[in-house]
Amino acid sequence: MCGIVGLHLKNPALQPELGRLLVPMIEAMTSRGPDSAGLALYDDEGMHVVKDVGLPRDICAAHDIASRSGYQAVGHTRMATESAITPEHAHPFTPAPDLALVHNGSFSNHASVRRNLAFDGITCTTDNDSEVAARFIGREIANGADLEDAMRMVLKEFDGFFTLLVTTATQFAVLRDSFACKPAVIAETADYVAMASEYHALAELPGIGNARIVEPEPERVYAWSR
Amino acid sequence: MVALNTGITQELKIDLATTSVRELNSELHAPTARRYEVHNPRGAEAIAVGLHDAVDVEVHGPAGYYCAGMNMHADIVVHGNVGTGVAENMMSGSVRVKGDASQSAGATAHGGLLVIEGSASMRCGISMKGVDIVVGGDVGPMSAFMAQAGRLVVCGDAGDGLGDSIYEARLYVRGSVASLGADCVEKEMRDEHVAELTELLARAGMAHAASEFRRFGSARQLYHFAAHNSAAY
Repeated sequence: MCGIVGLHLKNPALQPELGRLLVPMIEAMTSRGPDSAGLALYDDEGMHVVKDVGLPRDICAAHDIASRSGYQAVGHTRMATESAITPEHAHPFTPAPDLALVHNGSFSNHASVRRNLAFDGITCTTDNDSEVAARFIGREIANGADLEDAMRMVLKEFDGFFTLLVTTATQFAVLRDSFACKPAVIAETADYVAMASEYHALAELPGIGNARIVEPEPERVYAWSR
Repeated sequence: MVALNTGITQELKIDLATTSVRELNSELHAPTARRYEVHNPRGAEAIAVGLHDAVDVEVHGPAGYYCAGMNMHADIVVHGNVGTGVAENMMSGSVRVKGDASQSAGATAHGGLLVIEGSASMRCGISMKGVDIVVGGDVGPMSAFMAQAGRLVVCGDAGDGLGDSIYEARLYVRGSVASLGADCVEKEMRDEHVAELTELLARAGMAHAASEFRRFGSARQLYHFAAHNSAAY
């Protein structure tokens, strides 16, 4: 089990509030992932990544996430099932300077995909299954695919269970496996798009009572651009 | 908790901003009132789970996973959306959701009535064992998977794989069906089906006519191992 959160701000007036809005979201996912946590925050200077072991609350406090501003962020709380609990094994995985991936689930053929990537000269720095998906999407984008197409390629190449949230400097995209085994909920208002593994991570967001709430369907990429 | 003495039935108002779900459920398991109002649920998990008394519970706001699970006798209304597994394994009583429901609504439930006024996501009624489920909107893919008994009524559309590997549950769909699962087929609407559907729609408070629905059920082709295939194994 792991927890995913993401926030894509449409209203620039909310940008100074990005960290303040994000912290309760990731803290709400503590029960899904108490081992380690990580965040990627985007502002006009680029993507900033924080990953550490421990509780989301402590990690957010240590890095003063609540005071961060920006236009987009993803977060992940990890309950490790397949590799070590270290900051390097925590999500998000960031194979390019503006690309972040968070994953809830498990890939069963990641060793095969990892070998295929190695033939292309792409090496993973950990033995984590999610990193393979991040590197795979990174390669597809580097080869000219847009993010949505790169995520559809995951459906062809990977076996396993996944809810993925992937961001670039301009895009925010969600994809679930063919059986939608892992939970996901998306809330959209005029001001933002928010995504989380469970609704209660979204419950503190402004205007959530009037948000359009959607559960992503299997095998469909949901994407937003700025 | 705040006791409201209405003079007719004792009512308790419970604010989950200041009371834990565990305290709420402990009260509901040994009820001191007949009627409960729950405020500020904010998507919390396991609200009003395991009730076994004929109490009324109104939840004002969105509830999280497993709301009203294992219900017996109680009548529970949620004024908002609910998370995964609402009314899972319900035995009796009723659960009404005035918003949408997440996955696996009414999973494995044996009895009672689950009404979802909005839409339900994937796997609605998975492995249902006697519950009646009425959905005002649509149901997602893989609904009524391995449904064994009971009735599922869908006033909107059904997603892919409806009724895959179904046993003896009866499915009624008013709108379109994206695709049927293995061994699920359309069946004739006979008088007894119109009668039971009319009664179910009335109980659920849905205004549609039974004649607008189609019925689906098991082709009963998966019931027995086909001996002539044994060489394939």
